[in-house]
Amino acid sequence: MNLSELIRERRSIRKSNSRPVEQELVVELLSSAARLQPPIDAGSWRVVYAGTPEANKRLVDCMLAQMSQSKLGKLIPGKLLDVFKKRFTDIPAHVIVMSTVGPDRLTNDRNYASVCGMMQNFQLLGWERGLGMLWDTESIIQHEGFFKGIGLRKDERFVGILHLGYYDKAPRSRKRTPAEQKWTVFQGHAT
Amino acid sequence: MKLSDLVGEMSNPIHFLNRPVPQELMLELLNYAIWAPNDGLREPWRFIFADNQNGGLMQGLQEPAPAYLLVVMREEADRHKREEDFAAVCCMIQNFRLLAHEHDLGVRCTLHDWMYDRSRAETFGVLGSERIAAVLELGYVTAHLKEKPEAPELQLRFELL
Ligand SMILES: Cc1cc2nc3c(=O)[nH]c(=O)nc-3n(C[C@H](O)[C@H](O)[C@H](O)COP(=O)(O)O)c2cc1C
Repeated sequence: MNLSELIRERRSIRKSNSRPVEQELVVELLSSAARLQPPIDAGSWRVVYAGTPEANKRLVDCMLAQMSQSKLGKLIPGKLLDVFKKRFTDIPAHVIVMSTVGPDRLTNDRNYASVCGMMQNFQLLGWERGLGMLWDTESIIQHEGFFKGIGLRKDERFVGILHLGYYDKAPRSRKRTPAEQKWTVFQGHAT
Repeated sequence: MKLSDLVGEMSNPIHFLNRPVPQELMLELLNYAIWAPNDGLREPWRFIFADNQNGGLMQGLQEPAPAYLLVVMREEADRHKREEDFAAVCCMIQNFRLLAHEHDLGVRCTLHDWMYDRSRAETFGVLGSERIAAVLELGYVTAHLKEKPEAPELQLRFELL
């Protein structure tokens, strides 16, 4: 698969099969992903990994804690909550990504931008090996209990969870707007 | 070329050659880059291309480069969506950097304080409902960009839950 095909064909994977994901592979792909970036401050991001049944259960519990305790959550039948839980528990591995918060907006944006670039590299490198991912930022999981559960520090912000798994069949792609329709040429003499 | 073959090459410093950057190639590469993940398929990006063949453009704001690509982002009212959109734009830019590298084009993705200045951004045609996410400095580079320097020690911060 060449680079343009890889970029074009990568899909978000929402349904994985039961094939286990090796932690060594995840570490290898993360190191490569970092080395596809300009040399940046390596201290600007951190990942927390869940890849054992116990760790996954802990993660899912803290993801759904808010939901099951909220007023709305209390209205959700226990059975439905279990279905929801199982959907996440069945995912073989999760990479939780946080970026360092700096003293000003520019530092924050730069740190955030560079970790997002790294995460895209990671998704592409995974796809090259048949490993699918889904970048998850659902607001329902973003609450105090969750941040505490994943060990988010005061000087960090949560960037996303990448759910990892091998897949049987990639979903169909959905159409994108051609770049030509989002393209303007600057004619003036600013500055 | 496979992506894994590029590992280690992307960290070389970029020195531009004095050669024009064709718009058609930019569009061709961007039409792949836009296959980046983006929540709700909002495709929050837009591009303003500025050719700098005559030099002097963006002086005092950016380093000299044969061309600039302003990556502009629609600003959602919701903070959570704004963050997701910025992330999506960064994924798209990363795709573009990788693709450009394959064509001997160097891309410096830059973020600077002036980009937050609304009136400054307006002079480039950025609308009130938008912001500059990044400015890409673009140009052809010599082939030594493809050399793989000694891999710097990388301390991956990887912990178990
Ligand atoms: C920052 C970011 C956050 C995302 N969050 C979610 C999410 O919370 N839930 C979800 O189902 N998909 C999420 N996605 C994935 C998008 O829905 C997906 O990229 C989009 O539908 C396009 O599909 P594709 O990735 O297969 O091309 C997210 C993507 C990005 C870049």
